[in-house]
Amino acid sequence: MSEESTPRAPFVVTPGPHLRTSESTASIMWWVNAALLPTTAWGVWVFGPPALEVIVGTVAGAVGAEALANRLMKQRLTVKDGSAVCTGLLLALTLPPLVPWWAAMIGGVFAILFGKMIFGGLGYNLFNPAMIGRAFMMASFPVAMTIGWSIPRAWYSRLEAITTATPLGVMREHDLQAALHLIGGPEGWFRLLIGLRPGSIGEVSVVLIVLGALVLLARGIIRLYAPLGVFFGLAIMTSFSGAAWLHLLSGGVWLAAFFMATDYVTAPVTRLGQLVFGVLIGLLTGLIRMWGGYPEGICFAILIANAMVPALDLWFRPSRVQAAGAPS
Amino acid sequence: MTHSDSRGAALFDLLTLGRGPDHPGPRKEATAGRPIEDLPPPAEVVLPLVQHLGDPAVPVVKKGEVVRRGQKIAEAAGSGVPLHATINGKVKSIDKQAHPTLVQAQAIVLVSVTGAEVAGLEFPEDPAWRALEREELLARIREAGIVGLGGAAFPTFRKLRLPPGVTVDTLIINGAECEPYLTSDYRLMLAEPRAIVEGARLLARIVGVRRVLFGVESDKRDAAAALEVAANEVVAEGLELQVRVVPARYPQGAEKQLVTALTGRVIPPRSLPYAVHVVVQNVATAAAVHDAVRFRRPLLDRVVTVTGPGVVQPRNVRAPIGTLLIDLVRFCGGLTDQATRVISGGPMMGRALPRLDVPLVKGMNGLVLLTGRGPFEEGYGPCIQCGRCLDACPLGLEPNQVSVRVEAGRATESAEFGAVECYECGACAYVCPSQRPLVQFLQVAKSALRKQRENLVTGTR
Repeated sequence: MSEESTPRAPFVVTPGPHLRTSESTASIMWWVNAALLPTTAWGVWVFGPPALEVIVGTVAGAVGAEALANRLMKQRLTVKDGSAVCTGLLLALTLPPLVPWWAAMIGGVFAILFGKMIFGGLGYNLFNPAMIGRAFMMASFPVAMTIGWSIPRAWYSRLEAITTATPLGVMREHDLQAALHLIGGPEGWFRLLIGLRPGSIGEVSVVLIVLGALVLLARGIIRLYAPLGVFFGLAIMTSFSGAAWLHLLSGGVWLAAFFMATDYVTAPVTRLGQLVFGVLIGLLTGLIRMWGGYPEGICFAILIANAMVPALDLWFRPSRVQAAGAPS
Repeated sequence: MTHSDSRGAALFDLLTLGRGPDHPGPRKEATAGRPIEDLPPPAEVVLPLVQHLGDPAVPVVKKGEVVRRGQKIAEAAGSGVPLHATINGKVKSIDKQAHPTLVQAQAIVLVSVTGAEVAGLEFPEDPAWRALEREELLARIREAGIVGLGGAAFPTFRKLRLPPGVTVDTLIINGAECEPYLTSDYRLMLAEPRAIVEGARLLARIVGVRRVLFGVESDKRDAAAALEVAANEVVAEGLELQVRVVPARYPQGAEKQLVTALTGRVIPPRSLPYAVHVVVQNVATAAAVHDAVRFRRPLLDRVVTVTGPGVVQPRNVRAPIGTLLIDLVRFCGGLTDQATRVISGGPMMGRALPRLDVPLVKGMNGLVLLTGRGPFEEGYGPCIQCGRCLDACPLGLEPNQVSVRVEAGRATESAEFGAVECYECGACAYVCPSQRPLVQFLQVAKSALRKQRENLVTGTR
């Protein structure tokens, strides 16, 4: 053959299939981050610059720790895939707004180093890194983590004392009536929905969390099995308390259900496995809230359920197409 | 199509706004509307002695000899089939040439000779063609050099000789061209439905079945209608000919999927359709069988879709076997500036070729010119357990589990996740957001498991 007859040879030879989806791990992670933006922005609007400091602290800590770990582990830099940002952001959204920024940053560093990189990086971690970070902060900064709550919009009115308690905290210390009083009486459910109440930075607005979740559902990034399981499990467990609706609408349940129980790496892969995983989180959360030591409890519920995932993955497998069909 | 999760789950996903599994899509717009066009006889053809699974053919011509189109130039050996001259020409050489799948192989090269003294052989109709005996039918099919034209290139006469003890009750004619981009079968069904149906009737006689099912994907309803019309016209001799539309969804045309879609039967792992009393033949093969029996016409040309963003004018081309791919590309306006990859067959299960100076072989149903970087040129990421491959796998296997075990050097522990059952359709690798080479991981697992089995067998001796 002449030279002219094989233009541009040799062509690229790569193994098949030769078509690939345009979705990538990075595109998925950045979509999750984008879906968290509405509730993040709301948190900053409600709780003011202290909330922004916390967010910047955790994200900077998480991204910096991952870049450093990449260096030490001689890996290629993975921070561009958006998953470290996601971990930092999720951690911030579960923190009280008045936690000091440096504590938040330490939490972000710990979440990445001990929640993710120590297992080998993205894909290999057993536990949700953001929840590892939060558990670490509850052990290390117990005071800041229990009294760092802020009255909605208080920072802007330059009040002397802007700290308060959360509805679930009040219910735990006192009773349901006190909790209702805090959120503005029996009609307070509306404040819970839109997010005008004390709480973690990103947990308060149910409406905006759902907005982000709808984007991820429509993009096919998450499925509803785990979130529905969480609500179901929590509803069952708290139905004895007479305040199931308060439990379901507060304490970070919505953020956890849509953004943590759906984390690919630390949740089961099959639909049934995800449903069971969600129910487990819901039941454990209710258990901790009603008989355990923490008013919220969802953080530890997720971590315990994470530990069950390898087993859930083996118990709930995809159904294989079975050899069948005798001649007609 | 059978899927890993139940229909109920899929419905629930839909109700809850969840998107179904990602999917390559048909991408057939460029050539679906283009009728088959004949390539003018090329100046040179390269005819490899192996274009099928089986022994290579043995040349019966010498260098310098003048041959006529249709003349046998190599005799069948062992389990193989003979080879015929596809242009009027002179034998330029019989030596090693570039081969699309074998890299290099012995081939007969013909250069075109024109003029009144060299005309192609004529293939008049055999008036007795409808009443031939089974053995005569098989002999004509072998003599015509027919192999599976859907891509597998298994000699057709061998597939039709049922192994001892096998009984068959259904013949399936595969018109479910599921590979993205390809439209050669589709255009053939529209152009020659009669030949396909007649061929199917002959095939049914050979394997002794009363029921023939034509499986056509739902994006080719007009082709199904054309087959239906032809089926009603053909003298059926108590034969039940049914055209059935199956959902258009990759890999619907894979034997295992199509057999299940049409009969409800599931072929066991590592088994052939015989296991569920079915024989499957491609539509183009059926048409070739018709030509071989009715006219004693050997397989000289095939329809190939030359397409993709890397070619200027995508077309469905009927070209002589042995035509160099570069001639096909030239007939289609040449390469675009962005062309970087050459795929023989479909883009899902086909293979990338480094060069275009290789011949069109009997099993090549598509030539897809792609642009951009190939998979894994930028490496791949870790498994993030997103579960997309589980949804994509038509057999309900677990490519994620197999891949992490292969990575950990524990390939032999992957049997329970379906490594052996996999027929490498590539649907899992298509959807993987980490661009993981899942098909290759499955191949590694498969060969490790095979080795383990063989060691067990020899160990017990």
